[in-house]
Amino acid sequence: MNIKLKKFGTTLTSRQAGKEAFAAFQPSLGKISEQEDILIDFEEVVTFSPSWGDEFLTPLANLFGERLKLMRSENPSVKTSLEIIEESNMMKFHIVNVDQRL
Amino acid sequence: MESELIPIGEAAIRLGVSIDTLRRWDESGKLRATRKSPGGNRYYSEKDIDIFLHDLFRMAFEWATNLEPTEIPSNFYCQDSSIFQARLIKMQGNLAKISSASKILSLLVAIAGEIGNNSFDHNLGNWPDKPGVFFGYDVNKGDIVLADRGLGILKTLQRVRPGLNNHKDSLRVAFTEMVSGRAPEERGNGLKFVRKVIVENPISLRFQSGDAEFLIPKESQELNIKGSSQPLRGCIALIQF
Repeated sequence: MNIKLKKFGTTLTSRQAGKEAFAAFQPSLGKISEQEDILIDFEEVVTFSPSWGDEFLTPLANLFGERLKLMRSENPSVKTSLEIIEESNMMKFHIVNVDQRL
Repeated sequence: MESELIPIGEAAIRLGVSIDTLRRWDESGKLRATRKSPGGNRYYSEKDIDIFLHDLFRMAFEWATNLEPTEIPSNFYCQDSSIFQARLIKMQGNLAKISSASKILSLLVAIAGEIGNNSFDHNLGNWPDKPGVFFGYDVNKGDIVLADRGLGILKTLQRVRPGLNNHKDSLRVAFTEMVSGRAPEERGNGLKFVRKVIVENPISLRFQSGDAEFLIPKESQELNIKGSSQPLRGCIALIQF
């Protein structure tokens, strides 16, 4: 499953908005098969913050582990936010190149 | 020159405050009016209004440190997080027009968002008097100012670090140490993100909470926390790029 974050907006900054995005996405979780990867696409996101990311990506990482894959982004706010989320949760995201889009 | 003078009603609209507030500011000297004749109507020079609006840090500091909350121009006051989010997106649009900010645009919006949302997240339901944040910016000058009249970093951080007992240590923890464990309140690491962005990019940050403050100059990793001459209960931040 490919999740385009731009569907939740292009300025993804607050913890509250991240929680709401995850709640909105939850009904789709049941449609994911046991072997399926989840691919997060940051395309067209202008601003991304660790607070939003922690509310959306961290629970997905807890649920899907290695099956959660993040598409590489050159956006500096995405790159720095992911580093902070990884450090604060003592985890490592699986980053894939754009040509590996599902 | 007389042609530069505007009546008090128009000045109130431009500043986003009431006419009564302008009268009080005139009497207190905060923003002086001029009169065409003794005892006549108040007029304001456009230049004075521009200077007043551009001195964002002073305006925010006064608002954050006054014993009683005072009125500030409505353009700068975000009563709740939805207003703040809308204005953050507007700032993003304004920054996009500044070519020199293009490489750091997303980072500037992200750190302003983290500081502002931090105020809302940690004071929700506990604002001592006036809820909300001051959020003003001048993209041409390269200034972004945020302030609140909340509980401050020390009191909100004590919920997860009860051993903290002074403002200097609370700033050090907030900006340098990963705070793990989300109980008894969700506590993110947004301010660590802010510091990381500042030290890795041509951006400076001045921050104060309680009686402690620091300045991280551009191109510097220094976090030299010192005492403040004028303490404030909440927080104030000046981001410059």
